Amino acid sequence: MHHANHFYGHAHVLARYAGLSDGHPPRINGYVQHGWNIGDGLAPGHPYAEGTPSLLWSEQTRRRAWSLGRRNVTVIGAPFTYLLAMRPEPQSPPQRAGTIWYPFHGWEGQHVEGDHDRLIAQIRDTEPGPVTVCLYWHEHRMRRVRRRYENAGFRVICHGYRGHWWSDTDPDFLDRQLTELRRHARVASNRLTSAVFYGIAAGCAPAVYGNPMVLAGEDPTFGGTARIRRQWPELHGEQVHLPTAVEIARAELGVDHRYPPAALRELLGWAATQEETT
Amino acid sequence: MTAETAVTLPGGEMLTWSDRRADAGNRPLAALVARLVPPGADVLLAGPVDPAVLDALGQTHVTALLRGYPDAAALAGRVDRVVAAGAAGLPTDEAYNVVIAAGGLDAVESVEGPPLGWNAVLARLTAAVRPGGVLLLRLDNPLGVHRLVAASGWYVGRDDAEWTVGGVLDTGRPANLDQLRLRLDAAGLRMDTSYVAYPRPESTTVLLATDQVARHTTSGLFEAVLHTACTSGYADRFVVADPARLAVDALYAGRAAELAPGWLVIAHRAASSGDDLNATDRAALPLAVLANDSSDGRIVEVVDGPQGWHWHRSGSIVPRSVRTPYASREITHLDPAAPEGPVPDGRLLHSLLLDGCLRRDTALLRRLLRGYADWLTGQADADRLTGAVALAGADNLVVSGDRFAVLDPSRRADDPLPVDVVLARALCRFATELLTGGYAHPWTATLDVAGLTVVLGGVAGRDFDRAVVDAALDLEAAVRRERDTGRRRGLDTGRRGDRDAEGRSGPDGDLRALTPTDPPPGRHSYQQLRDAWLRQRDENTRLAAALTWTEELLTSRERALRRAEAKLDLLSGTVSYKLARLASTPARMARRGARAAKRRARAAISRKDGNHE
Repeated sequence: MHHANHFYGHAHVLARYAGLSDGHPPRINGYVQHGWNIGDGLAPGHPYAEGTPSLLWSEQTRRRAWSLGRRNVTVIGAPFTYLLAMRPEPQSPPQRAGTIWYPFHGWEGQHVEGDHDRLIAQIRDTEPGPVTVCLYWHEHRMRRVRRRYENAGFRVICHGYRGHWWSDTDPDFLDRQLTELRRHARVASNRLTSAVFYGIAAGCAPAVYGNPMVLAGEDPTFGGTARIRRQWPELHGEQVHLPTAVEIARAELGVDHRYPPAALRELLGWAATQEETT
Repeated sequence: MTAETAVTLPGGEMLTWSDRRADAGNRPLAALVARLVPPGADVLLAGPVDPAVLDALGQTHVTALLRGYPDAAALAGRVDRVVAAGAAGLPTDEAYNVVIAAGGLDAVESVEGPPLGWNAVLARLTAAVRPGGVLLLRLDNPLGVHRLVAASGWYVGRDDAEWTVGGVLDTGRPANLDQLRLRLDAAGLRMDTSYVAYPRPESTTVLLATDQVARHTTSGLFEAVLHTACTSGYADRFVVADPARLAVDALYAGRAAELAPGWLVIAHRAASSGDDLNATDRAALPLAVLANDSSDGRIVEVVDGPQGWHWHRSGSIVPRSVRTPYASREITHLDPAAPEGPVPDGRLLHSLLLDGCLRRDTALLRRLLRGYADWLTGQADADRLTGAVALAGADNLVVSGDRFAVLDPSRRADDPLPVDVVLARALCRFATELLTGGYAHPWTATLDVAGLTVVLGGVAGRDFDRAVVDAALDLEAAVRRERDTGRRRGLDTGRRGDRDAEGRSGPDGDLRALTPTDPPPGRHSYQQLRDAWLRQRDENTRLAAALTWTEELLTSRERALRRAEAKLDLLSGTVSYKLARLASTPARMARRGARAAKRRARAAISRKDGNHE
C-alpha cells in the first residue's frame, strides 16, 4: 500500500466503514487522494506506479487527472465523507460557538513565509466569538509559533500527527477533527484547503481571508493560490454565501460518490482480503 | 403421384441445386402473409420460401417456382403446383393475386438458359400480378450493416451461388428503396409499404416498418429487437465490428432503414374494376414483426392502435409450447398469453446506462439505478419478486421519465426471487456487456465482473456482496438453460430445428469464467478482439509497473528492517540492557515455573476425568 494512504488515518477510517477492524488496514489497491487538490489528486513528488488506480474525491478532479494523462482514475469521495456517514450529527447537537481557524500549513519539508502577527490581528478583528487555532503538527511543535497564537488569547490545538512511511499515523486524526469542527459555528483559513471543506460538511459557516502565506519555493504547476481564488471566488471572503459553499463542498468532497461498504471493499481491493488482527 | 410427375418441368431447372440453407429464412414474413393473403387466393411463390410462410398460406392455391429440382421435389404434394425452372419457366399466361419473392430476385434466376438479369426477372414476376394483386419482394442493401461488418469484400464472392456477382456497380438492379419504387412504378405496381429486414439479408428475424424506424429513433422496442437480432444473428460469425452496436447507432442516427441488410416491399397493381382484394389489410399491417430468439421461436407483432403500440400474437403460426417430459422443475415459464397489451414507450435502460457510463455521468447512473432498485422493491412481496419483472434485464426494461416498465413480459419467474438477486443479475449482465464490450466507464480496470456488479449495486444504493452475485449467476445459468431449451423446442415446433446449431455458444457463455480482458462471449468481431487485446496489454503494463514498484518498496523496507535489527543488536549489547535483563531474570524464571505448574495441574485433572469415565 502506498504510504500516503495512511495519512490522517484515511485507511483506518475506510477500513472501519468497510466493516473491517481499523487495527491495521489491509493494503489498498490504489492511491487514495489524501487532501483537497487542484491537480490530479495525487501529491506532487510522490512515486506512483503507472496504471495503479487513483481513488479520487471529486468528479472534477477525475476529469482533470484524466486530461493530465492519469488512467484508472475513479471517484470514491473523500474519506472524511465516510467518517460523516459513520458519525452523523446527533439529533440535538450541543451548542456551537466561535471559530476554528486553520492557518495554512505546508508539509514537513516546506516553510511558510508570512506574517503571523498580522494574520492574528486580522482574525481578532474579524471573528465575532472565541477562536480556536488549529496548527499543523510541525507548527504546533514550534513553541515560538504556538505561543504567538496563545498569547493572542486563542485556544491552540492540533488534530494529531499525519503519519509518514506507515509510522505514527494517528488513526483518530479525522475523528478528532470532526469533533472539533462540530463544536464551532465557523471554520476559517487563509487558504482554501481540505479543512475548510471538512468544516462546511460538518456544519460550519466558512470564511477564507488573510494573507495566504506562500510557501518558500512553492510549486506553481497547478496555478497556486491565484488560481484557487479565480476558480472558487464564492468561497473567499470573511462572509460566504452558505448554500453555495455547501453545494461546492459537497461536490469537492464527493459526498454523492460515497459507496456502501461492500462496493467500497471492491474498489479498494479488499473484497478477498484476509484481515490482519494485529 | 411420384415426385417427378408432381413437379412441372418446363426446362431450365437446376438438377442438383438446392437453395435450402440451415441459416436462412424469413419467419416474420409469415405474419404479413397471413394478413395479406385471403382464402382462395392464387399465390405464386417465386424462389425459396420459409416453411412458416407455407403454413400461413392456409386455404390458398399455391404455385411454387423453384430453380433447384431437389427443392421442388421436396415441396411436391404440399402445394398445388411446383414448377422447377428459372424465371423463364413461368407460364406467361398465368397471373396471381399474390406473388412472393422472399429470397429476392437472384434466387429466381437459373444457371440454365440465357441469363435474364434483375430487371427482366422483375418484369416476369410483375407481369404475373393480377390487377388488385400484391407483390412481396425482398431487396438486399449493398450498404447494409452486413456489408459494413463483413470480414471479406462483397466483390470477392466465390461461393457456389455466386456464379455471377451482382453488386452496386450493376446499375440494372436498384440499390435503395427509392430506386426500387421507380422500377415498380415502371412495371405498373405501386409500392404501398416497406419494412427494414434485420439481421442478415438471407436470414430475417425482424421486420420493422420503414417509416416508423425513421421516426422513432430512440424507441426502446426498436433498439431491443435490433440489438437482439444482430447479436444472435451474427453469433459465431467473424465480422469486422459489432453489428448490434452499428444497428443501434444507426437507429439513433435515424438511419436504421438506410443501413438495413435488406428491405421487404409490398406493392400492388391497381385494380381495374375495384376488386382490390386486400386494400384494407394493407392499411392495417403491423409496424413490427419479430421472430427472434428472445421470443423463443414465436412470431409476435406490434400494431399501432388508438391506444398506441400493442403487442399482438400472430395466431395460427405460434408454435405450441410443449413441456419436456421428466424435465426438472422449471423456475421460469413462457407465458402462453404474452406478450399482450401495450408496448411501453421509453428508452431502453441498457442504453441509458451505457450513455451514463461513457459520459461518466454518475449522477444519471445513480438516478437510474436507484430508480430501478426502488421500482423493484416497490413491487416486492416480503422482499421477493415473481413474474416478468423478476427476470427482465436492462435490455428488456424501458424508462420514460421516472417510470420503469418491462418491454416484453413473456417470460416470467414462478418462484419468488429476492430483490437483491434480481437486481444483481440485471447488473451482472450489464457489467459483462460493459467490460467485455470494451466500453469506457467511470470505474477502475482492476474490477472484475463480480466486483463491478457489487459496485453498480452500490450506485443503486444497495449494499450486497459477492455472495449475492453468486446467487444471481446461478439464477442466470438456470434461466439460460430453460430459455435455450424453450428456444430449441420452439424452433422444432416451427420446423426450423436445424437453423441454429444446437449447443451454440452464442452470447451465453459461462459468465463466471469471463474476465474484463475477454472479448464479448459468442461474438467474433475484429474490433472487439483488438480492443480486448489492448485491454490485456494495458493490464500487463499496469501489473509490470506495480511489480517494479513493489520490488523497490520491498528493497527499501528490507533495508529499514536491517537497520532496525542492527539497532536492536546494538542495544542488546549495552550495559543498561544487560543489567535490565539480569534484573528481570527471577521474574522470567518464576513465570516459566508457573507455566510448567499450570501444565502439570491440567494434565493431572484430565487424567482424573478420564479415570472417572
